[in-house]
Amino acid sequence: MTGAPLPETARGSHPEVFEDPSTEVLLAMVLELAREQWITRIRLATLEHWAAHEVTAASVPWSEAYRLPPDAEQAAAAERDAFVARLLKPASTI
Amino acid sequence: MTRYVSHALKLAPSRDEQASQDFVSSLRAHVLGPMATGLRASFDADVAPRLAAGATSRDVLKAMQPHPAFRFYTATRMKAQQLVWDSVRTTIERQRGELAARAAALSTDAGTTTDGEAGSLTLTPALPIPKNVAAIDVHLMPGSYSFDGGDGDIAAGSLYDNGLSVFSFGLMGETLDDIGRSIALWLSLRHPEFQPGHVLDLGCSVGHQTLPWKLTYPQAHVTGLDVAPACLRYAHARARSMGIAAHFLQANATSVPLADASQDLVFSSMLLHELPVKDIKALFREAHRLLRPGGLMLHYELPPNEALSAYDGFYLDWDSLYNAEPYYQGYRDLSPPTLAAEAGFAADRYFEAAVPSLGWHGEAAVRAAVTSQQAASSSKLGRLEDGVQWFIYGAWK
Repeated sequence: MTGAPLPETARGSHPEVFEDPSTEVLLAMVLELAREQWITRIRLATLEHWAAHEVTAASVPWSEAYRLPPDAEQAAAAERDAFVARLLKPASTI
Repeated sequence: MTRYVSHALKLAPSRDEQASQDFVSSLRAHVLGPMATGLRASFDADVAPRLAAGATSRDVLKAMQPHPAFRFYTATRMKAQQLVWDSVRTTIERQRGELAARAAALSTDAGTTTDGEAGSLTLTPALPIPKNVAAIDVHLMPGSYSFDGGDGDIAAGSLYDNGLSVFSFGLMGETLDDIGRSIALWLSLRHPEFQPGHVLDLGCSVGHQTLPWKLTYPQAHVTGLDVAPACLRYAHARARSMGIAAHFLQANATSVPLADASQDLVFSSMLLHELPVKDIKALFREAHRLLRPGGLMLHYELPPNEALSAYDGFYLDWDSLYNAEPYYQGYRDLSPPTLAAEAGFAADRYFEAAVPSLGWHGEAAVRAAVTSQQAASSSKLGRLEDGVQWFIYGAWK
């Protein structure tokens, strides 16, 4: 039993924020791209980590389950926060 | 930082899905932190000097809406809110059948609680779901709390639990129950003589703030009440997975199928602002009816407009216009002591308090708040950001 799929979008009208609605569309596109960029960044960082650790690479086959170790995760979190801050800095100082 | 749901109904996101959730949490933290600070600076520099003396929160909104800082803050926050649900929905959908099976197994496993009491789940399929839940995707959550795929489905509960985890970027505790844990600790310290035998949590959703009452008062019969069946199934299984015996009942908080004077504590958390005014008043009357003499009605909520500066009121009212919270602003215009008095509570038995977040400030701060006469900081009340304090009010019967 799983039932109907969860809806993908919320119901209701979307309030206008900018005088020109295309500005919001562009902002949404930039944020989607940034999310995809971050996903790719983590995939690359994970692959680099796996490849850089020869012993691990020799003994652990690459798989979707491979994850960064906690210290590298922590560093990635700081990098992510800094990335988001850089991305939105122009909008914060307008 | 992101906290992930860690109990037995946790998801197994792929690496990409996890990275997506992390990004959205960081985005939310940035919007509610540095961008909100920038918004305030823009107000101080560009808008406040032009406002007339005595300006209200609505005046601030009108003056801020054309400001570029407000436009970007709002559009970014709205997109972040959409991404919150989007970042967990796909994972839930992929694991939905397995999650339902896991929940069903937990719900029928009699040996999962520590005190021998099993807890219970009572659904009422014929219960009408009120329009304020069924017709509005509150918080822009697709399907709202009431989405139900039928017998055994827990998808809406999972969406809310995992979405809130991403949404709150760690500020609501490891199990998203900081509000309940902080308030229950505060109450137990402030009134050690009060030992409730029956606790009722109105509008409990998945039971985040229900279970802390059982942990604080182990002898109590604790019931969570909500109209949303999938959330209640999830709540029951979640409680069982955490080894906590709690009862979950599908019912409307404005018409509770429990006896007069059957409860010692009637609690709600972030429920009242989801209701039309007539339902808020009905809920207060129900609380009064349900309480025994000496019992306590206690609400965690957003502070009323009358308690805040015009800017802080404007800031909290953002959700009413941009986050599908149509009753939010109207609730905050009401006077809690007046509501309590109209429901039959004596004026001198009403109180308000600001409870420091246990997770952010630590237990010592909650202990200090029990005796403190210091006024709460207006800008920290009810705002999910560093240094958050939870605003509560209540009345003794």
